[in-house]
Amino acid sequence: MRILTIEDDAAAALHVANGLKQVGHVVDHAPNARDGLSLAVEHTYDVVVVDRMLGGSDGLALVKTLRSTGVKTPVLFLTALSGVDERVAGLEAGGDDYLIKPFAFSELLARIEALARRPPIATVQTEIRVADLQLDLIKRTVTRGGRRIEVQPREFRLLEYLMKNAGRVVTRTMLLENVWEFHFDPKTNIVETHISRLRAKIGRGQGEELIRTVRGSGYMLRAPS
Amino acid sequence: MRLPRLLRTASVRLAAGYTFLFAVSAAALGAFVLWTTRSALEQQMTGRIETEMTGLESEFRSGGIDRLIAVVGERGHGARALDYLVQDPEGRRVAGDLPRMGNRIGWNDVTSSDHGPGEHDERESVHVLAKLLPDGTLLAVGEDSGRIEQATDAISRALWAAFGLTALLGIAGGLVLSAGFLRRIDTISRTADAIVDGHLEQRIPESGTRDDLDRLARTLNRMLDRIAELMAGMRQVSNAAAHELRTPLTRLRQNLENALAETHSAEPAQGAIERALAETDAILETFAALLRIAQIEAGTRRAGFRALDLGSVAETIVEAFGAPIEDQGKVLVSSIGKGVRIRGDQELLTQLLANLVENASRHSPVGTRIEVTLAATQAGARLTVADDGPGVPEGERNRIFDRFHRLDRAAEGVGLGLSLVKAIADLHGAHIRVEDNAPGLRVIVEFDGATEPLRDP
Repeated sequence: MRILTIEDDAAAALHVANGLKQVGHVVDHAPNARDGLSLAVEHTYDVVVVDRMLGGSDGLALVKTLRSTGVKTPVLFLTALSGVDERVAGLEAGGDDYLIKPFAFSELLARIEALARRPPIATVQTEIRVADLQLDLIKRTVTRGGRRIEVQPREFRLLEYLMKNAGRVVTRTMLLENVWEFHFDPKTNIVETHISRLRAKIGRGQGEELIRTVRGSGYMLRAPS
Repeated sequence: MRLPRLLRTASVRLAAGYTFLFAVSAAALGAFVLWTTRSALEQQMTGRIETEMTGLESEFRSGGIDRLIAVVGERGHGARALDYLVQDPEGRRVAGDLPRMGNRIGWNDVTSSDHGPGEHDERESVHVLAKLLPDGTLLAVGEDSGRIEQATDAISRALWAAFGLTALLGIAGGLVLSAGFLRRIDTISRTADAIVDGHLEQRIPESGTRDDLDRLARTLNRMLDRIAELMAGMRQVSNAAAHELRTPLTRLRQNLENALAETHSAEPAQGAIERALAETDAILETFAALLRIAQIEAGTRRAGFRALDLGSVAETIVEAFGAPIEDQGKVLVSSIGKGVRIRGDQELLTQLLANLVENASRHSPVGTRIEVTLAATQAGARLTVADDGPGVPEGERNRIFDRFHRLDRAAEGVGLGLSLVKAIADLHGAHIRVEDNAPGLRVIVEFDGATEPLRDP
């Protein structure tokens, strides 16, 4: 996919660009807000990655301007400002996700991919199916191979998030933010524990594991090949 | 509830005090006026009686008893006539209309019931001077002292009316003046409350009268400007620190990450880099935690407070941490009251409880029972996290919230989790205390509603 990074720190920009190119993405880079804005308006990108602090100007203003010109490209904010106020401000300005520096590259990659393939909001899903695992979003039920599986409400949300992002890596932080709404990093292995319980429930008596661990990154739900 | 508040204000108390003092001095003045009037009237009366007595005595000396009787008979019928009595040595009344006196000589007060038949019948108090004439005849001259009573009554009625009016005007004036005063004081305290709640840009309006309150408002506003400047400076410094220190650390991390990606084959190097990455992450995390505590302590987040269900926050935490704690061989139980609502920041309160639960589970052995309790109190809510683990020695208990304080140096973590808990509790105006759970530790967070009223701004 095609990604635009707007970042005034050359070293950081290079790190991100190299990493993204290595996994096969096309990357354009703008070193300041003005260039970034004109690139984002002129070309079509799958995702725009914007640093909040752009040598004097704020990435917030850039994204507000971008949105006012009708550009709906998903925006991921990067920032050294870790305050919750800043995150809320970023989302209100029209950002779609917010990642606090420093981050593991795998975290950035997972978030970019989740943003780029976000389904259009108009389509209302009533069920999600991956292989023989089926999620009824109305009745909030889980069945695998036609057999009903009882899950807790939070496990349902966890499974729903994994299935909506089937085939993509979701990180531990993404799960904490989206499933539990925890915007901090608990020292307790909440995600690991709940994933392992969910695995036990949906994988009982079945062959291959649907929820896989991606070492150093997170988890991925994928139909067995 | 406007009036009782008004009555509690300092200015009303002052007005009431002044009114009271004024009333007391007015009463003293009135009493003095009354007393002097009365004694002047009494002096006049005795003067009149004594003059009349002297006159009658000289009439007696010149004309004898017959002349005296004639004169007394004549004088008894004037408009402002005095009262008389001529009594012969046998005690019989021979002239005048005062009751018989017997042998009472000198000044007396007598009650006359038959004075002036046909004129008025009521009994009257009469002040009488009686003298024995040389021939044994008793001569008495008196005056109705009721006139003095009437005069002093009229004066005292007038004084009471003036007194009542003064008190009324004093109280009403005090209320009106203090209502105005109170409005301005109210504005000042509302502004101060808003600032406490995180609206740092608020200033106290000045009325433009250049009076004491305006001077106070101006001084307070200057103080607020100064505080705002300092806060802005502090925020700028911490933002700069965040940027300037985190950027190189971030690059260090990136370099390590790149190095790791390029050393697939060199196993020892890979291990070293992974450890270096972990160390970097630990430094960055400590740094982030410190910044976060500083941001929370700045208090600006109060502006975003909303009414929230503390019970659902507690349930989320218990549900999220229950399974991992169970896997550690411990138990997390809860007793969460329904509909416990307070004003606050949901995200921070979630973290507060998460940190308390993690703290309890991290410092306790297998088999520990951790209990989360939430109950509504009269003023707000009480949140308790208790465990039956080893606990904390009494002397150490108050220090567990200190930054970088660790009871067990060997334990993981840098000792900022509970500092963050304290900062969040302070932000919410909650009192936090640590008690012996016998055995174990009990942390109680008391939301007393003082700074989180449920009204929406």
